Amino acid sequence: MSHMFIQTFPEMKKLFYSLALLSLMSSCATTNMTNYYNQNQAQLDVIHKSFKELYKSREFSIEFNDKNFEHIFLEMFTDTLRYIYEFGINEPRLKDTLAKFNLAPAKTIDLITRMKAIECKGVSNMTYYGDGKESNLVFMAIKKKDIRWPFTPQKYYVLTYYDQPQYYDKDGRLVDNRSMKRLKKLNGDIFKRVNSRVAYTISEHAR
Amino acid sequence: MFRRNFFVRYFSLLFILSGFFLSSNAGDTVSISTRQEAINYIHNIKTIAPSSFWPHLKPEKFLRNVLEDINNPNALYQGNNTNFCGYAALTYMPLHYDPLGHAKKLIALYQYGEVLYGKAHLKPSAAVRNAAGNLVYKGALDVRGAEQMWLLTLADHFKSYLNFFNRKYKAGDENSFWAGVSYGKFNRMIRTLLGYELHARGSDLRHPRLGDIYTYLQEQLTLGGTTIVFQNNAYLRKKAKGKFKPGYPTHFIVLQSIRKINDSLITMTYWDYGFETLRQVSPAVLKKIIFGVTHVHTNLPGNEKVIL
Repeated sequence: MSHMFIQTFPEMKKLFYSLALLSLMSSCATTNMTNYYNQNQAQLDVIHKSFKELYKSREFSIEFNDKNFEHIFLEMFTDTLRYIYEFGINEPRLKDTLAKFNLAPAKTIDLITRMKAIECKGVSNMTYYGDGKESNLVFMAIKKKDIRWPFTPQKYYVLTYYDQPQYYDKDGRLVDNRSMKRLKKLNGDIFKRVNSRVAYTISEHAR
Repeated sequence: MFRRNFFVRYFSLLFILSGFFLSSNAGDTVSISTRQEAINYIHNIKTIAPSSFWPHLKPEKFLRNVLEDINNPNALYQGNNTNFCGYAALTYMPLHYDPLGHAKKLIALYQYGEVLYGKAHLKPSAAVRNAAGNLVYKGALDVRGAEQMWLLTLADHFKSYLNFFNRKYKAGDENSFWAGVSYGKFNRMIRTLLGYELHARGSDLRHPRLGDIYTYLQEQLTLGGTTIVFQNNAYLRKKAKGKFKPGYPTHFIVLQSIRKINDSLITMTYWDYGFETLRQVSPAVLKKIIFGVTHVHTNLPGNEKVIL
């Protein structure tokens, strides 16, 4: 019946195929992300490790704030203040500021360069509380390259790196604990398994 | 005719939405009570009975959280990705200038499920009372039950046009329009809850005409009291590169200092999200992000007899 309807109305045919394509694209999201992670694992893991190591000397986060990945927000925490600076990635004062805040300039600039290479929008630490116990994760957002509808927001592949293996339900969704009663939502987003310590989502939130 | 009607409606709407409140009194900030008085009060209480009104708030943790906020008022945290910034910016004032009064009211709200705070009778709905203590993945707010109780209660009580389509709390509404704060509502909350006189310039839709914004902010700071800025936070985080970018205000901050480094750079220090932040912006960006400036004369509360 629907087949006859489509044959009768060519516009409906186009719409039908567009919807079918969209549905196929969305169902491929999981595969795409796992593929993306597998293809870029080496780069992603280096960024993660480098960030973790630098974070020990100073709590900080980096976020690119332009389309061309030429400018960053650098957020650094001291005991008394949170500092937010904006730099061009080639500006000499970036190096001076990093040194002043005890963040190894060469390593940090290397991290920024690696982030730019894979269009990683930002990397930061996020504190969360599971069963009242404080834990940390590394939050990484990578620009999603696909066709965007007009007036729709930019979306990101968001990867979260945990120190401990996480629990996932039978659908591969990140859950709170062994009881698997509650989904672990970060920024309101549901995350899915990449591996036991890495989960992903597709989100508008880059931080 | 159409154009005239359009302009009349447009400006009427702007006027309704804006918070043009004027007052003439100015003066230094005066504390109604001290931090030590509040600490002594909580230490003397020692324990309180579990409250049937707040089933997910354990009394020990609740009292500990109230004490933490008194000891370190700047650590008050609105939570990741919530719309609680207006309520948090407002709470900055009682925590700094009347910690004893604030602590008493929080404890009364916990014990009785309702409290008369300033001119407002706060009586949160059952949905909100059930949610307090259950908010998770909001960062430090997860383990601060008293803050959850307080922020949810304010969002439940005070409403404006932003909350028109979502007035009843459902799980997750702390991130939605249910908790949204318009500029007019923010100023109304200060006057109703805290009784302070204030001078507000701005609106939800357009930038206020304040002349040189840097000079204006500096003048407000020299008056004493508390200066709160209503700004577009998203704009701060993206490079516009001269393109047209529609903007609207999204965030309240408590301004602490502002200093011109040179003609192209201004350093501002402000409080939000549990931290004091130092940030550098250009004068052009400063002008673009600011939609409202409220100066609160934190010296004239005058209505401190309200605990049940």
